[in-house]
Amino acid sequence: MKVTESGKYRTPPSGGRSGGGRFGKLLLAFLVLTAAGCAGKGTQRENCLSCHAKIEHVSAAHPDCVPCHGGDPLAREKEAAHRGMHGRSNPSAPEHWDGTCGSCHLYQLDRVKSNLMYTTTGMIRNINLTWEGPDGELFSSRGGEVYDPEGKAQRLKPVAELNHVSGELYRKFCSQCHVARESGDVYGASHASGCAACHFPYNERAQYEGKDATVRGRGPYAASHAMERLPGNEVCSRCHNRSGRIAYSYQGLNDGNNSLVPTRGGRPGPVMASGNRNLTHIAQDVHFTAGMDCIDCHTSRDLMGDGYSYRNMYLQTEIACEDCHGGAKPPRYREIVSEHDEALRESAGYRMPMRPGMKMIVTAKGRSYSNVFYRDGAVWVLGKRSGKLFKSRVVTGTPEHTVVGHGRLECYSCHSRTVVQCYGCHTTYDRSGTAMDFVKGVETQGRFSEKEDYRMLYPFPLALNQRGKISTVTPGCQTFVSVVEPDGSVSKNEYVARFKGKQQLRFAPFYSHNTGKKAIRCGECHGNPAFLGFGQHVVSGRSIEGTMICEQSADKPLDGFLTLQDGKVRAYSAITRERSRPLNGVEVRRALAVNLCLVCHDKAADPIYKKELDHGALHDALHRRLLSAP
Amino acid sequence: MVRFMMRCIVAFSLLLSALPALAAENCTVCHKKTVKGAHRGLPCLSCHLDEAKTLADPASRESGAAGCVGCHKGYAALFGKAMGSRKGERDFVARSWGKADPDFFAKNCNACHLKGCTDCHGAKGHEIAKPKDRDCFTCHKGYFVGTDYYGMAPREDSMRYQRGEVAYGEAYLKMTPDVHAEAGLACAACHTMASLAAGKKSAKGCRECHEPKRNIPEHRIAAHLEKMECYACHSAWSPQEYGTFYLRFDSDSPSKERYRVRRDQAAEEYVKSTYLRRQDAPPLGLNRQGRVSPIRPQFIAYFTDIRHDRAIWDENRLLAAQWKAFFPHTVRRGSVMCEGCHDNPRRFVLEREEERIYRPAAEGMTLPSFWDATGQEVANGAFYPQARYREMSRKTTAYQRGYLEKWQSLVNHVETSSAP
Repeated sequence: MKVTESGKYRTPPSGGRSGGGRFGKLLLAFLVLTAAGCAGKGTQRENCLSCHAKIEHVSAAHPDCVPCHGGDPLAREKEAAHRGMHGRSNPSAPEHWDGTCGSCHLYQLDRVKSNLMYTTTGMIRNINLTWEGPDGELFSSRGGEVYDPEGKAQRLKPVAELNHVSGELYRKFCSQCHVARESGDVYGASHASGCAACHFPYNERAQYEGKDATVRGRGPYAASHAMERLPGNEVCSRCHNRSGRIAYSYQGLNDGNNSLVPTRGGRPGPVMASGNRNLTHIAQDVHFTAGMDCIDCHTSRDLMGDGYSYRNMYLQTEIACEDCHGGAKPPRYREIVSEHDEALRESAGYRMPMRPGMKMIVTAKGRSYSNVFYRDGAVWVLGKRSGKLFKSRVVTGTPEHTVVGHGRLECYSCHSRTVVQCYGCHTTYDRSGTAMDFVKGVETQGRFSEKEDYRMLYPFPLALNQRGKISTVTPGCQTFVSVVEPDGSVSKNEYVARFKGKQQLRFAPFYSHNTGKKAIRCGECHGNPAFLGFGQHVVSGRSIEGTMICEQSADKPLDGFLTLQDGKVRAYSAITRERSRPLNGVEVRRALAVNLCLVCHDKAADPIYKKELDHGALHDALHRRLLSAP
Repeated sequence: MVRFMMRCIVAFSLLLSALPALAAENCTVCHKKTVKGAHRGLPCLSCHLDEAKTLADPASRESGAAGCVGCHKGYAALFGKAMGSRKGERDFVARSWGKADPDFFAKNCNACHLKGCTDCHGAKGHEIAKPKDRDCFTCHKGYFVGTDYYGMAPREDSMRYQRGEVAYGEAYLKMTPDVHAEAGLACAACHTMASLAAGKKSAKGCRECHEPKRNIPEHRIAAHLEKMECYACHSAWSPQEYGTFYLRFDSDSPSKERYRVRRDQAAEEYVKSTYLRRQDAPPLGLNRQGRVSPIRPQFIAYFTDIRHDRAIWDENRLLAAQWKAFFPHTVRRGSVMCEGCHDNPRRFVLEREEERIYRPAAEGMTLPSFWDATGQEVANGAFYPQARYREMSRKTTAYQRGYLEKWQSLVNHVETSSAP
């Protein structure tokens, strides 16, 4: 069943998702597959369907039960038939995937095994940094041999062996949300493990609601036995709903202050999420409003990995806004010339497969998108699931995008409507309590709990990211650690961990996925020092005074990382990632000095913004005449 | 000095009036009470008045504080003023939540109820004293201006946010305190008894102590001084509640337990929660005097009645969308820069539709935006008129000059070497 090596089994454009004539197509596909010798056990009838009658077919390319599930198809008793199955229900779980999915989809499985969504190496590393865990060693959800981005073999240790409170935090708090483990009883956040995590979506309650009467209404199971070749947004939302919670922001949902109002049908509302959290509606991302899905921007290499093991998601992600919208240079493309082109193979399941000769737009890492192409002088994005075509506006060369100095900005520094910001994460590690270690599968001593100070969406701070560009940042994290010993005594009280050599809080570069077509106005950003990281404030002489302040230090804002005291710019929090940092005195002064021009020259198209600003001009004859007192 | 002499005169006259009774008093034979503070040594009947018909609580509201006002003349008037009558609050509840539950005020608002003089003047009855700030904060806390003065903002309602310093029964978010608090001024420095009895908010206004310095660019703009309250610029922050929900449950609604929010803010059958809180510089509007002043919702009132875990009648019913012009008591020397107000429509509740972030209408909460005056009112003033806003946001030459001067005064002093 070498689907990957042959175009023969290409799903018809309507896929398995259309209603009418579906059975006919399935039958046809079955016959084709059988003729090709891909149906596993030849012509012998499987008995599985005598119990599991009406169960959904996985897909046209997966016609039989046994190649995936194992077991004895000829047995007539349940017990005998199920003996030797690859897991109770999910043959794609990491315990089985080598012999199941991986026996055909080896290329994909190898990628997934080094993929951050599976390894969570980045997450574990960040927790280690926050909790002063052991430095240097890399861990992953289950451990394994991988290759680093330079192609060097690397061994990741299983996180079960991380004998530090940071490992325990991961196992008890964070491990539920990743592909390596099933999460079965969390409302709105349950998912299978392995390939099925994305390709066999759970519903909100992880209940099977298909036509197989033996399983219907039970869980945790996928909502249907029909495979989702192209996962929808709700699949992404199952995990990407905490912390940065980009899947919510993208859809215009705000996980705000957890106040559980307004009610919906008399129950907490208006939209409920896992952990008894409520979501309210805010402005949607412009791409979501247009009808684009997560996977319309994110390539399979973003999501399933590209075969290399990165230590952080920002290194694995290969796409950038500029790919489609252009930056200093217009979008680049590469023509499909080979019949083995990855774009051809990947797009086989789209409503509109790509064809040789098409000019495929390339990602920031220089690889072809499988759904974005150049045609008739425009960049087009194909909705992988919807089949809709979206025309991408290329901004290269427009006056708003050629302001000198703005080349340093990430697109989303101006085009974010909101940026999720959670201030003050007060985590208590109570050694006298117990909690479930989801990785080890046992309840052990030590329980974590969290309290918080304040959340907001707008305005949001900017700082330098790992690319040396000015990016939106968000607390990541402002962790204050308290430790309660078994005898109830407090051994650490609101402790701030050491990071980059000193005790300090941290902000992380972050793209909120709440993009707006209209950018933040020039004066809105330059005229409000909160955008530079000063927090909400008042300006007092030569000082900027934060008005929401850290409990531990009266002169430091909680919602920022810079202070200006009598003309001196001081940074007191770190920006995580290499080469990242808050703006320095020169940059702060330069950004604020723009206001001296903006008050009259308020259009981006003004020629003064086509070169470095010359503040000396304020003293020339023309300006003196205009500005002299009446 | 004057104060001391006044005291002497008062004490002397008290003694005189008490002398005849003193000889006959034998109250303390049974009542083991000692009066402390300024009234120490006074005979019992100077307050309790009559041996035969003893006034049990001389300071009580019911008696009109008969035991106090003999000397402290005129102060019974306080019971008829805002603090005693709570007329503003009663009227608001009558036209908002009271429409859904006629007993709402009695159930949810009675914690702040002036019962007599000793509510503030020494809570233990016989330890009569001048009120301390903490006596004010029994009521003037949380969303009711008071504790803000010391830099304490009410936290979110969810239990997730209930942490940190607890004072006057509430966990607070730490904010910057009022400069007057930093300088050691207590509430009573401005809010004298005489001013309260006269029904005034305070004895002193800003300009009675401060003359705006002309070297500050903003102070040289005539419109600023003529049309604005000082605290429109100098209030650094303020608690703001956008969407105050009261949910009423019958006893057959176990879903009530899912509301993991503070339960000390409402009666047993209620849950109170807030859609959104902010702690930044509050929006601006016009107060009763027509001057530009901070305004905030008080309250955008919603109500849901829940029986058998289902909403009956209209769910999330908007009962009032009322704002108030107010004085936040978070004064700082500095203020926001020009953009904090000019060309900032949200600050004047004139948010542009394309800049709308929160979408209450999408939740069936009636209002298109909290920062859109449509369907909302200011109880003691008005929203800033659109035409005036447009006029104010014009970039006149005078504006440009003032703006440049202001920004230069900051930018030119930002040092280009960053401290580590």
